[in-house]
Amino acid sequence: MAVPSIALPGQLLGSADKYFPGPGTHIHESQIYASIAGPVITSPTPKSTQTKPSPLLSIQRPSTSTDPGILGTGSGGGGTILPEVNSVVLALITRLGPRFATCEILVINNIVCRESFQGQIRREDIRATEKDKIKMEESFRVGDLVRGTVISLGDQSNYYVSTSENEFGVVMARSEEGRLMYPVSWKEFRDPVTGRAEARKAAKPF
Amino acid sequence: MATNTDRRRNNPPSGGTHAPVFARTLREPEYLQTLRPTRTRGPNELRRIFLQTSIIPSASGSAYLEIPSSSANSSSTLIPPTSSLKITASIQGPKPLPRSAPFSPSLLLTTTVKFAPFATRHRRGYIRDNTERDLGVHLETALRAVIIGERWPKSGVEVVVTILEGDEDGWWGDAHASGSGWGLLNVLAGCITVASAAITDAGIDCVDMVCGGVAAIIRNPDSRDEEDLVRVLDPCPAEHKQVVAACAVGYLASRDEVTEIWMKGDVGPDPDALIEGATHASVGSLAVVKEVLLEALQAKFQGQIESSQGAQKRKAQDVEMTG
Repeated sequence: MAVPSIALPGQLLGSADKYFPGPGTHIHESQIYASIAGPVITSPTPKSTQTKPSPLLSIQRPSTSTDPGILGTGSGGGGTILPEVNSVVLALITRLGPRFATCEILVINNIVCRESFQGQIRREDIRATEKDKIKMEESFRVGDLVRGTVISLGDQSNYYVSTSENEFGVVMARSEEGRLMYPVSWKEFRDPVTGRAEARKAAKPF
Repeated sequence: MATNTDRRRNNPPSGGTHAPVFARTLREPEYLQTLRPTRTRGPNELRRIFLQTSIIPSASGSAYLEIPSSSANSSSTLIPPTSSLKITASIQGPKPLPRSAPFSPSLLLTTTVKFAPFATRHRRGYIRDNTERDLGVHLETALRAVIIGERWPKSGVEVVVTILEGDEDGWWGDAHASGSGWGLLNVLAGCITVASAAITDAGIDCVDMVCGGVAAIIRNPDSRDEEDLVRVLDPCPAEHKQVVAACAVGYLASRDEVTEIWMKGDVGPDPDALIEGATHASVGSLAVVKEVLLEALQAKFQGQIESSQGAQKRKAQDVEMTG
């Protein structure tokens, strides 16, 4: 049976013996059905343990437009996307505690969220080495923009974010005077005018 | 009444939106009976349905459903002979749960059904009354079985349905008609259909598209026999003098499953026939929903392809300029 080019929820796409179910599909009685509306995409399975890999069936979600729309950002333009484990996020530090920093996840995998998600960066997740010597105030300040990865869906209200890799950490920080600073090392940002250095866990620039 | 407890707004006199009753309808009962609408379509024929999705830009998904009045407006009276059904649904979310909510591994569904104050002949309050809460619970059961909640952990979705014009319980000329509740079944079926279209528009994972349908058993108007009953699909309560029983279902056509049943009245020995009729009606409205959604999808993805092509063209031009 040919796979339909466009599918609506509940539409039969193919047998589960011949295809793998991808995002936007579900299996019912060993048949693959669509679960969202959109064009059907058949792609080769990236890594398969089987001798004969079956193609992956998935349904494309409409891409979110970069145009924020007439009502401004956060109204309609954003995608309905949830943080998942291993997704790379951009987050704004909102509060510092002795054991963890609270942040607001704004971007997930380069897609701007419709609504922000509350996240938490625990002190031991800030960097991978010398975890016992990490000091919160030498890593983040309120208002810093941080790139990190989600390590757990966390408890009832927070997603757990980690910055313990080189490319994760503060990407944008303002000095005490409020000027945008530039990173000079993995643990230091510098003010372009006064030249004063401030301690941060800096992300490795690309 | 709910309006009496609402102290936040300037409330109009309760019971306000009655259409004028003209003296002639009171003086001449025969004239009144000539205004009575009758069913002109076949017993298995549905009213026409208008549906559109993505009407509210700030919602993640939305839909509008209208079932226009089937009878032609008569020129001799200002009162519309039958009511029409107009419902909007908007989906808010999936969004993170509020801080106080406990952890939930799956999507939390909240449904709110509200009649607009002007939706029925009898004016509704601004605060939800028992009927509306009841409709909300019915709608929630119909939708809950369809949504694949495990795909959206720690998040909630709100389905907000506003009824702009509700089907009436009976013809306005029949004094006993209002309050019988026959119109609510049509409203529920419409709510299920429109909410399902909005959920699909929002891109929330569903097992199938659920659609609402109504069937009724009525006294045959052409027959003298009191016991002569007919089954009709999509009854417009104003067009039938006596509805004996009615049933609204939420039906998954491709799985042949029923997620919601609401039955009223004296069904008699064979309720299955009535339920089956309601599922037939829901298949009819499903055809409309499918058609509309396919059309919307094509438009949506057409635009996406064009915009990406446009971006590539612009990039190519940039390269030329720098080179």
